[in-house]
Amino acid sequence: MLKKIFIGMVAGLISGLFAAGGGMIVVPALIHIFKLEDAKARATSVFAILPMVITSGIFYYRNDYIDWDLGIKCAVGGIIGGIIGAKLLKKMSTKILRILFIIFLGYTSIKMICA
Amino acid sequence: MWETITGLISGIISGTGMGGGTILILVLSIFLGIEQHTAQATNLVFFIPTAISAIIVSIKSKLIEWKIGIIIALSGIVGAIIGANISATLAVNRLKKFFGIFLGLIAIYEIYSLKKEYKKSKKEDNIKEK
Repeated sequence: MLKKIFIGMVAGLISGLFAAGGGMIVVPALIHIFKLEDAKARATSVFAILPMVITSGIFYYRNDYIDWDLGIKCAVGGIIGGIIGAKLLKKMSTKILRILFIIFLGYTSIKMICA
Repeated sequence: MWETITGLISGIISGTGMGGGTILILVLSIFLGIEQHTAQATNLVFFIPTAISAIIVSIKSKLIEWKIGIIIALSGIVGAIIGANISATLAVNRLKKFFGIFLGLIAIYEIYSLKKEYKKSKKEDNIKEK
């Protein structure tokens, strides 16, 4: 029980701070601590994170940070991309994609910290 | 146009289940020069419809562990209120630095889990050969 509350608090904090990345806390926690299988961990994570995202969304909205025009443009691409991604996941190993993801994260994190 | 392409790339990454949101925020803020708070808020707009559709599919395929999910969700709301309040008062360059540190930690974790999976698949190959 305490573990669940702790994970929720940390994920919520990250979600509120960065408006992203809650899943990066919840998914590994569900897999390693609660021993859920991969698909269940991802599904439960999305379910758990949605209320956190809505909560932080209200705050960002109040502070006038939401650019609807930009959001809709991105969402159009996102919907198409989501379908492509889900299909890719079935067809091929995501190893190359993951390595690219790591390189990209490493590069941008250094850039952001040093900026 | 670039905004839609950014969405497309993040969507592909999200579809494969790896932090598409972080990619969206990064590309918007670093390459398209959008203010960090706005870039983050855009990700929220982007996430909500995607998540709802994913949850509907997951409920149908019975993949959600309700007991764990509900507790994490409830305590997460408390965490999110604290986090969003901190974020709103934080100067942009500070927020960017913290985000950078967070990304670095994720990169390290990803390297670790990739390595673990590689070892595991190698082991399985060995068993098959025997």
